[in-house]
Amino acid sequence: MARACRIVIDTLDLLEEAAVPGTTTADLDRIAREAIERAGARPAFLGYRGFPATLCASVNEEVVHGIPGRRRLAEGDIIGLDLGCVVDGFYGDSARTVGVGRIDEDARRLMETTLEALHAGIGVCRPGKRVGDIGHAVQSHAEARGYSVVREFVGHGIGTSLHEEPQVPNYGPPGRRERLVAGMCLAIEPMVNVGGPEVDVLEDGWTAVTRDRRLSAHFELSVAVTAFGPWILSEPYPYAETGEEAANA
Amino acid sequence: MPEPPLRETLEVEGTVRELLPNALYRVELATEGRASVTAHLAGSGLLRLRPGDGVVVEVAPFDAGRGRIVRRR
Repeated sequence: MARACRIVIDTLDLLEEAAVPGTTTADLDRIAREAIERAGARPAFLGYRGFPATLCASVNEEVVHGIPGRRRLAEGDIIGLDLGCVVDGFYGDSARTVGVGRIDEDARRLMETTLEALHAGIGVCRPGKRVGDIGHAVQSHAEARGYSVVREFVGHGIGTSLHEEPQVPNYGPPGRRERLVAGMCLAIEPMVNVGGPEVDVLEDGWTAVTRDRRLSAHFELSVAVTAFGPWILSEPYPYAETGEEAANA
Repeated sequence: MPEPPLRETLEVEGTVRELLPNALYRVELATEGRASVTAHLAGSGLLRLRPGDGVVVEVAPFDAGRGRIVRRR
């Protein structure tokens, strides 16, 4: 899974560079597919429940699940890039929102807050905490800055399939839902809106947009719960390797 | 890629057909096949229903024979 996550992050790095004014979202999808296949992996989203592409590209008011197409990116857009791949049967899933060219201060602040909210959620991933604590951390962080969190979509367990138990909402009271134990892998993915939390899904059956059509940002990382705390799977194992833990890592 | 949360229950419209003991009701669902469920009231029980009343019933996906009357229609 760490390999799959690494490939996803490397590909997102490529896409971030390619997301310049004039590029179409279909161009980004092609780059994503080529990079994933070059790395010896398989796109995880292509064909998943009928999704037609490798990449979810969600521009501005689009929250998640945007289908790449002929839309050309313009200076000042923000685009959510959500990507997954499979290596040796294991999934990696990650997303980030990037600015196209120069973006305004409001957009930058929204993206920064969403990323912070993600890390607030990751920070509570240790044995004994509960799934509700993650959502609570994310929601508290985002709402303290005047934003709202999307409720119609949730993070998820990840492993030998893309979506596994448990569901990981980005909201809710602490101390509820499943207890975290070492070895669980979760895809935590706050979707944060400037306006209200409501979203609508467009006629294509996928693209989710904010109901008030104001900006939305989305960041996601796949994280393992270890005895010592969270391990962001796309990064090196962050704890000193000793005895039993080293054998499991 | 985020997933849409699973709906744990399904809301279905129906019509009360029969009053049963213990504040239960037999409700005919407005779905194909007009299946009926034994349903209890979701609220305090002060709500009195009579045959013919339209209601909205929550049905769990794993037990289609029972329901929970959430409100009048």
